[in-house]
Amino acid sequence: MTEKSATPVSAGHLLTVSDLTVRFRSHGEAVYAVNGVSFDLDAGETLGVAGESGCGKSVTNLAILGLLPQPAGRVEAGSVQLSGRELTTLREEELRKVRGSEIAMIFQDPMTSLNPVLRIEEQLIETIRAHRDVTVQAARERAIELLVAVGVANPESRLRSYPHEFSGGMRQRVMIAMALALEPRILIADEPTTALDVTIQAQVLDLLRRLTAERGTATILVTHDLGVLAGMADRINVMYAGKVIESGTTEELFAHPRHPYTVGLLRSIPRLDGEAGGKLVPIEGRPPDLVAEPVGCSFYARCAWRQERCALEAPALVQIDGGTQPIVTTGAGATHVAACFNPVAQAEVAEGRPAAGRR
Amino acid sequence: MIMRGALVDPVMASAPSGLWRDALRRLRRNRLAMIGVACMTLFFAAAILAPVIAPYASNDMSGPSLSGPSAAHLFGTDLLGRDVFSRVLYGAQISLFVGVFAVVLALIIGTTFGAIAGGYGGRVDGIIMRATDVLLSIPTILLAIGIVTWLGQGLPQLVLAIAVGYAPVFARLLRGSLLALREADYVIAARTIGGSNSRILMRHMLPNALTPLIVQATLVLATAIIDIAGLGFLGLGPADPRTPEWGTMLVDARRFMQTAPHIVFFIGGAIVISAIGFNLLGDGLRESLDPKLKR
Ligand SMILES: Nc1ncnc2c1ncn2[C@@H]1O[C@H](COP(=O)(O)OP(=O)(O)OP(=O)(O)O)[C@@H](O)[C@H]1O
Ligand SMILES: [Mg+2]
Repeated sequence: MTEKSATPVSAGHLLTVSDLTVRFRSHGEAVYAVNGVSFDLDAGETLGVAGESGCGKSVTNLAILGLLPQPAGRVEAGSVQLSGRELTTLREEELRKVRGSEIAMIFQDPMTSLNPVLRIEEQLIETIRAHRDVTVQAARERAIELLVAVGVANPESRLRSYPHEFSGGMRQRVMIAMALALEPRILIADEPTTALDVTIQAQVLDLLRRLTAERGTATILVTHDLGVLAGMADRINVMYAGKVIESGTTEELFAHPRHPYTVGLLRSIPRLDGEAGGKLVPIEGRPPDLVAEPVGCSFYARCAWRQERCALEAPALVQIDGGTQPIVTTGAGATHVAACFNPVAQAEVAEGRPAAGRR
Repeated sequence: MIMRGALVDPVMASAPSGLWRDALRRLRRNRLAMIGVACMTLFFAAAILAPVIAPYASNDMSGPSLSGPSAAHLFGTDLLGRDVFSRVLYGAQISLFVGVFAVVLALIIGTTFGAIAGGYGGRVDGIIMRATDVLLSIPTILLAIGIVTWLGQGLPQLVLAIAVGYAPVFARLLRGSLLALREADYVIAARTIGGSNSRILMRHMLPNALTPLIVQATLVLATAIIDIAGLGFLGLGPADPRTPEWGTMLVDARRFMQTAPHIVFFIGGAIVISAIGFNLLGDGLRESLDPKLKR
């Protein structure tokens, strides 16, 4: 069903996700939302996750925290290990201790992620007191500290406000404060700035970068905006139809994309240096419906580099240039891997289609 | 006073004053809702102040029989010479008493089951919802007739009959809101920070599910007042036929439609004013409490 990825499961990483497989089943139908995702994350790293809408980015994140919508969503295979501790089989009470204090999450829409009937103060204090045995007064002081850290002016009076009295950017700052309240080791930010306007976006990203760097928090940053990833991520996982189809350091991935889908993604965003000829090219076709069990390469239908083999066999995520060194999954020296039988050559990247006579 | 507090205060206590203040401001700008408030104030004043303002006792038969409105008898008198104005005032007391208690009881029963169903889901949810479907498929007034016939006539029975009829409405409403809220971003966010299920239900979901309940309770109060009168009209009102209950009074008055139409007019008017009052207020509340209409 799912091929083993070539990434060796090595011990010692902060977070190790291996062969994660998530299905939504209801009324005899299944959605193949995540199909064997593997990656590692070390302390202090920022892992970017890119990919079209519906490719399983959010579901992967929710599965890590054990928060899949019940009863339809289930982790059907694979594992998630936090410092070697398996999370997918953990009991709910144990998982609750992990959520917020070890792995925290920020969502896309700050307008809806705060409870409208509770004061900011109540939500922040609740977060702190859910995990730490401190007095309300101590939690309150910590809350003020946090608001200062995320750049909310007049924190003492702002604590008394309700979410609707804040602007979108301010709310996202509050969300960041809540997420960082317990100094989690991992922060998952699922499109944290998509709902904000551009200038606010930059400020919030800046804040996020500064705070996670100060605290050494590992970050998983999901975004549609490759430009954001270019500035924020150390490494990038490109996802397609519930799989990681290419992974490597940000620099490497932008400079030498190998998977046809990644090439398409890069060509569909504006680049300041105009390397892609200045023209934006959308990827043709639509991502596959995830209601059918995936056969072969999921990108087959839209791929200009496809071969007969691709329709039948799913390519594994491997080191493209057949290097002999062991695969490194984290850090600045992470190995560039892609799941493609007929990877894009460097010369073809700018053109966006296979060189003549290559098919 | 006590009854009114019971209806509104628990809600006020658990929801933030800031949001309520905003909602109140919006409500004040709504003319229809203000007419509703005026009608309701009239109704509450009549009920609460009845012993003070009513010129006669409810069963004082000293007046002339079937006289028209006059200075001595503002709304005229009925066959037995009782002052219709006084009886309408005391009738408000009964409607208020039965209506508010029935709605509060219905709210307690309904929200308990609704919270269990919507908060926990699964099989419990299935069972509770099938039961409410069955109850909702029976017209309220029919259900109430059944209960009153079974338990005998009397005010407590009336309260229970109407409460049972409306509890499923509240149960289903609350369950629906809770189901929607389960997917709300801030509820998921509360889970991601490690909140426990019961805490999330009590603190994040229930308070956000209250507004539709308040609105519905106000609207149900309007129909409950009509139902009480309806049951009285069908002869299933209070056990003592001399009780100044509006429906019961209406049956007597109907016989003199030709000779003394004013009696039917005044009693009917009282029922209409109170029912419309709660209806208009309910609609107004719906609008002012709806966060989507916030300006
Ligand atoms: N509760 C659910 N029931 C059934 N299918 C679901 C459910 N939630 C998500 N899915 C499916 O899982 C797949 C992956 O969804 P996911 O939300 O992870 O996408 P995404 O990559 O985060 O997209 P976006 O960029 O739009 O946020 C989609 O095909 C979606 O339809
Ligand atoms: Mg998503």
